[in-house]
Amino acid sequence: MISVHDLLKEYIETGRIKVDKSIHEELTTIHDPCNYGRKSDKAFGHAFYEEPRWVTQQCCENFVEMHPNRANNFCCGAGGGAWAMPYEAERIYYGRVKAKQIMDTGAKMVIAPCHNCRDQIMKSLTKEFGMDIETKYLWELVCDSLVVEPWTEEEIKKANELRDAQYERDDIDLEDQEW
Amino acid sequence: MEPITINRTESKLRVAPEWADVCFTCGTCAGGCPVSGVDGMDPRKAVRMAALGLDQELIDSRFPWICTLCGRCEYACPQGVEILKMMRRARTLRERDKVPGPIHKGVAMCLERGNNLGIPKDDFLFLLADLSKEMDEDEGFPGFYAPVDKKGANIMVTVNSKEPFGEPDDMKFWWKIFYAAREDWTTTSTEWEGVNWGLFSGDDESMREITGRIVKHMEELECKRLLLPE
Repeated sequence: MISVHDLLKEYIETGRIKVDKSIHEELTTIHDPCNYGRKSDKAFGHAFYEEPRWVTQQCCENFVEMHPNRANNFCCGAGGGAWAMPYEAERIYYGRVKAKQIMDTGAKMVIAPCHNCRDQIMKSLTKEFGMDIETKYLWELVCDSLVVEPWTEEEIKKANELRDAQYERDDIDLEDQEW
Repeated sequence: MEPITINRTESKLRVAPEWADVCFTCGTCAGGCPVSGVDGMDPRKAVRMAALGLDQELIDSRFPWICTLCGRCEYACPQGVEILKMMRRARTLRERDKVPGPIHKGVAMCLERGNNLGIPKDDFLFLLADLSKEMDEDEGFPGFYAPVDKKGANIMVTVNSKEPFGEPDDMKFWWKIFYAAREDWTTTSTEWEGVNWGLFSGDDESMREITGRIVKHMEELECKRLLLPE
């Protein structure tokens, strides 16, 4: 099993993908998700604190830490399934601490390596606390920073053949269906 | 008021037998918990309830559910009291039809139909093909397609069902990275859910079943690595 952090770091480190950090000039901070920090440390003996920071800084010119961070970081407020649970007022109240942490950095972009955290920060806290900030997944940041080396004609042809075989096996006809 | 009979050996919540004796009620946990004070919630109260044998009262209370299981209390506790473990255990002991919101329904749906939101196989496959076509033809990624059930792929990728359900274009972030990396990847046509809500509902048995299905697909497809969606 491989985590998103390890894979992104591996791709950049080994040169399998190229990223251009000049695309993101704005001051950027990173949120430590509980599941990748404290809880991963406890369950697997490793917390993903440094990997997302390294990846973020390959894609951003200007980086700032939230305080406190890493093992002492505050939950976004939507952990443990709270994003889906019927305790909306409690979830937003909980998130006030996260919102203040983010605003205190002065950052214009916050990177969230977790689906729950991203949704809470982007779709709830930004509006509730009037934050002037953009939220991105860690892999969204990498995707937006990509410098893609074009595929050769041969690579494209081979992929098209594999695709056609798969669509025939699965009986997929895009021309035939209305979406 | 009836006196409480404390039965230490029979407590359903005593996952770590030493807590009652070691908790100083110092408040390090409560001081760092953003939800302390809501509904009278305080991690120390929860620990005391468990220690005093008020198992059912804690299980029926809102404490274990307005807690986000972030684990900051447990990390900070100078005495090593396993507060997070206790809270999740209290969730486990809640009757399944009384689990708040959709998280248990999602687990049941995942067991029955392979993903938390019940997206049918045909819809999923067609969506992947349709999004692939957009990338291939309109977004500058010629030759891209989303491989499904591809035997021997290097990486098997699971999916957060909220994306095919409501934010399908977000799947393209990873797809574009795979394209740039020329990765040999695949996802599965069924049981591709990468979000295990049993973690939140406290349902270890379902978690194991759902994880086991992913492992089974990996073995059948002979994939080398597994990527979870976050």
